[in-house]
Amino acid sequence: MTESAAVKTHCPYCSLQCGMAISRKGRAGIEIGAWDEFPVNQGAMCRKGWTSGELRGSRERLTQPLVRDCATGELRGASWDEALDLVAAQLTSLQAAHGKDAVAVFGGGGLTNEKSYQLGKFARVALGTSQIDYNGRWCMSSAASAGNQAFGVDRGLPFPLADIEQTDVVVLVGSNLAETMPPAARHLDRLRERGGKVVVIDPRLTSTAERADLFLQPVPGTDLALGLGVLHLLDAQGAIDEEYVAARTTGFDAVRRSVASWWPERVERTTGIATDELRALVDLLAEADRVTVLTARGAEQHAQGTATVLAWINVALALGMPGKAYAGYGCLTGQGNGQGGREHGQKADQLPGYRMIDDPAARAHVASVWGVAPESLPGKGKSAYELLESLGDGGGPKALLVFGSNIVVSAPHATHVTKRLESLDLLVVCDIVMSETAALADVVLPVTQWAEESGTMTNLEGRVILRQRAITPPAGVRSDLDVIAGLAARLDSPIEFSVEPEEIFAELGRASAGGKADYAGITYERIAAEKGVFWPCPTPDHPGTPRMFTETFATPDGRARFLVQEFVGAAEQPDASYPVHLTTGRVLAQYQSGAQTRRIKGLTDEGAFVEMHPMLADRIGAHDGAPVVVRTRRGEMKAPARVVTTIRPDTVFVPFHWVGANRLTNDALDPSSRMPEFKVCAAEVLV
Amino acid sequence: MTESHRPEEPRQRLVVVGSGMATTRLVEELVARRATELYDVTVLGDEPVAPYNRILLSAVLEGTHRPEALTLRSPEWYAEHGVDLRLGARVLGVDRDHRDVMLVDGTLIEYDVLVLATGSIPTLPPIRGLVRMDGSLHDAVHAFRSLGDCQRLLEAIETTDEDGRPVNRRAVVVGGGLLGLQVARALGARGLDTEIVEGAEHLLHQQITSAAGRILARDLKKLGVAVYTGARAIRINDASDGAGLLGQAIGQGQVRVLDPLPRNPGRVSLRLDNGFTLDTDLLVLTAGGRPSTALARGAGLEVRRGIVVDDRLASVTDPGIHALGDCVEHDGRTTGFVPPAWEQAGILAGILCDEAVKYDGARIVARLRATDLDVAVLGDADREVAAGGEVVEVSNPISGSHRRLVVRDGRIVAATLVGDLSRVGLITQHFDRQTVLGPREPGNLLMPERTADEGSAALTLPDDAEVCACAGVTAGRIRGCSSFEQVRDTTRATTGCGGCASTVRQLLGTPSPALATTQKGS
Repeated sequence: MTESAAVKTHCPYCSLQCGMAISRKGRAGIEIGAWDEFPVNQGAMCRKGWTSGELRGSRERLTQPLVRDCATGELRGASWDEALDLVAAQLTSLQAAHGKDAVAVFGGGGLTNEKSYQLGKFARVALGTSQIDYNGRWCMSSAASAGNQAFGVDRGLPFPLADIEQTDVVVLVGSNLAETMPPAARHLDRLRERGGKVVVIDPRLTSTAERADLFLQPVPGTDLALGLGVLHLLDAQGAIDEEYVAARTTGFDAVRRSVASWWPERVERTTGIATDELRALVDLLAEADRVTVLTARGAEQHAQGTATVLAWINVALALGMPGKAYAGYGCLTGQGNGQGGREHGQKADQLPGYRMIDDPAARAHVASVWGVAPESLPGKGKSAYELLESLGDGGGPKALLVFGSNIVVSAPHATHVTKRLESLDLLVVCDIVMSETAALADVVLPVTQWAEESGTMTNLEGRVILRQRAITPPAGVRSDLDVIAGLAARLDSPIEFSVEPEEIFAELGRASAGGKADYAGITYERIAAEKGVFWPCPTPDHPGTPRMFTETFATPDGRARFLVQEFVGAAEQPDASYPVHLTTGRVLAQYQSGAQTRRIKGLTDEGAFVEMHPMLADRIGAHDGAPVVVRTRRGEMKAPARVVTTIRPDTVFVPFHWVGANRLTNDALDPSSRMPEFKVCAAEVLV
Repeated sequence: MTESHRPEEPRQRLVVVGSGMATTRLVEELVARRATELYDVTVLGDEPVAPYNRILLSAVLEGTHRPEALTLRSPEWYAEHGVDLRLGARVLGVDRDHRDVMLVDGTLIEYDVLVLATGSIPTLPPIRGLVRMDGSLHDAVHAFRSLGDCQRLLEAIETTDEDGRPVNRRAVVVGGGLLGLQVARALGARGLDTEIVEGAEHLLHQQITSAAGRILARDLKKLGVAVYTGARAIRINDASDGAGLLGQAIGQGQVRVLDPLPRNPGRVSLRLDNGFTLDTDLLVLTAGGRPSTALARGAGLEVRRGIVVDDRLASVTDPGIHALGDCVEHDGRTTGFVPPAWEQAGILAGILCDEAVKYDGARIVARLRATDLDVAVLGDADREVAAGGEVVEVSNPISGSHRRLVVRDGRIVAATLVGDLSRVGLITQHFDRQTVLGPREPGNLLMPERTADEGSAALTLPDDAEVCACAGVTAGRIRGCSSFEQVRDTTRATTGCGGCASTVRQLLGTPSPALATTQKGS
């Protein structure tokens, strides 16, 4: 066995982006080792990280473009030129017949910053379409929207993750980080060793909740009411940091009045949280010097997700926490590049640097970097679900290009979305394996995976990190960047598209300069030397910004905003026909739509299951391990029951890594973030 | 909604009498519907302060809620939304012919649509000496309905003599309903010797059974509040009379309760109809309220217990006059709780905006708001039992809990939980949503939650049990290792979230349970 020097890089999966060291093993194999010095995970990894090398050399890897044969209707092998020529020709004729917006682009929160940036530029310049969005809408977009409204900027964590070890009370609203990003749980353990307290709010007693000093188990979809009730009691007790509120915020009076009607017994009736549990939480918060409130998908994936996050931000602000050392509010972003993915222009309403596409100054700046006229840039497009909903028969775009997303598994109301995909004139999917979405495509383009290419990611802390190429890609695959450049050339793009990540990153830095997410001072060299650089980092000599808001917020007046939130509740409430709440989420051994993880032997793939409480199982006659059917107004699925006492008796849980869960989920959207209500709908369960 | 509204139509004048919680909600609902574009809204409140959360007054009394945090909406908020809020504006009468209301100062306010949200007024129990010749209450006597009442009572509690000792150290609460218990608990928490006098045979007699009532009385006693049930206060005497009384021979069948504070005989004494006499400084009346219907009656609207309204929350006499909240009677029922009043507010706002909605009664959940007193009452148990509901109950007078579910067609239609509120959230959800439960479920809901057996620990884990979820490592594989370092390097256990480290240490070098049993047996 020959071992070359290990390459320092990062895990391909979640937003924690654990540091890892990849070394060559034998001729084609790679070995994953610890990178102890990387501060976020300090050498720890979950089994997804340790086994991430297994996809290397997998027989399921796609290594040749595939084109659907007109005669047989089957996918057949094709050369890159044939595939790209075909795609470009069809895009051109569709746009000629139906206008620029007849072509849409769908990106992903797992793409590198360079790819996200190129994709946004490709859509606006090479295709000239406004129709681009990405699956990050289904991730943390509600927290992003809330952060922008309250703080004037959206960086998931405005402080390094390790800061939570030094806080006094951390409140996790809808996060199961011990399973979804296990090494992060070590920070909770160290906090507790220091004597700090952990509060977990979740309809399920998860392995994260097992670490909690206080666990609250609300009705799904009521975290907002809980936040209002917490603020009510804090005010009732006189625990508001009046000095901070006066000096650093606006809008508190209206918020204070608005929570006067959320007394504990009303909160109890709405949320199912008994008043003494609520009081226990408020007592913890009132007595603590430093409180850190963290939200994740449980709080955010709702039709009132943005409002829910804002209600909890109000709690953090009322306690005087944001901007204080080892305290504040943060969002635990989900996808690997969930943070960077939303900053560089693959979002329907944004340009690089977290600029808004309807802002003339932003358009002028970005257009000058791209070398095009500002007026040539299209305007705002539709958000992810609305875009997919409009495809083909929906009256919208006729062609869709998909990069880094498995829509068939991950979209809400999936049966409906799948029908829309099937009604397209042209579906092009870039992927590393034959995902459920690729299987529907007219053209499938095989692309490189993480260790086979370089690029930057921005982790949940806003730390820009470098994924280094460690191994040569298999023959026949190309980077998404090559696909973009190849198509752009064939579409007679007015500008050229680079395929060199570092070159693209430098351009991205220029495009982001002066924007909220300013990368201008970051280089690959600096990232490697400094183990990541936190944005904003406007100049090469700027140290980066690990901790934000210490002096001022990113709003025009520098103050954080209290915003009044009204509780409406889940869009779909249980009734006689659909009497239980359905919630969805992840399991430890799988990641997102499972396109990668389900193909790794070292990760258990037991398939979907329906978690329910013994009382509910007894009611419907279900037995542990025996199949049950879950039905909603949108679809149904069958899976074995998993009978556990750790879930609310009025709620069932289904993991979403397998086809099925999202046939059930509700496509009701948050008015501000356009996030679908993945986390709660009404369901019927029967044997 | 407002789409049906044509701007050239003259705006209608909507006048709301009352500025309590029902009105606040109504105005919020109207604002949310942009109905202020349809109506010129005037709110007439007789209290001088901005609308506040009345139901938290007992928490203010108890000291667990800051009085400043009661305000629901500031006067500025009303102004911002174009609503004319007039405080301290008491309405004298309604003239239906002229469609106007007259304030005490003679101001006439015309309306096109009138809403009566006059709430309820405290019932004065028939106690001699309670009301003075001039109609005012005896100065030791306090009502407990408004913020003003609450402030006066707080002042009385905080008044000290020249030595800095509280002047008022003893209190009797007349009425053992929800409000009475909350006030008694609050006074007790403030350090007053507090007693409750309730005319019925047990506390909360409108809501709970006698067994539950007895448990509650015992809980209160533990908290230092004495309870006299089946007794009515009949006479209040000033201490000067009382001092005389001490010297008098007590009449036959009369009992004088021995004074635990002989140096503070109390400012007044209260005679009960069972012959007891209670010395006290303060007397707080919480013996219920009744719908405030004088205005409606004066205007010739049909009034029984409350202002009689139909499903559109309109007076059955005059469809141009609506009413909501504590003052209304719908389907033969009055409520006296906030949630149904708010539900009515939402529906009335819809009706005023031409939405096709109607009111068909509300599900009521009453919760006692008092520290260390656990009571939840869902629905109307008597009514539901009479309608054929079956009772599932668990009573444990020894531990002080009584929990009772009334179940009809698999649904929880009423419930009483005293002394043990475990699963109150879930039971309320099932009640509110009318979930159809399985036959064993109501019983299971009242059983304690089975907790995981933590005592068994690592030693008894079977070899195939997963110990490290992050790396997917079983107990057997860990037992096969010789050191913590070996576990880490060969299995990757403990290298993820780190949560299994202590279990791994326990497992190292221990035999699997099967072997352990064999060894024990040999």
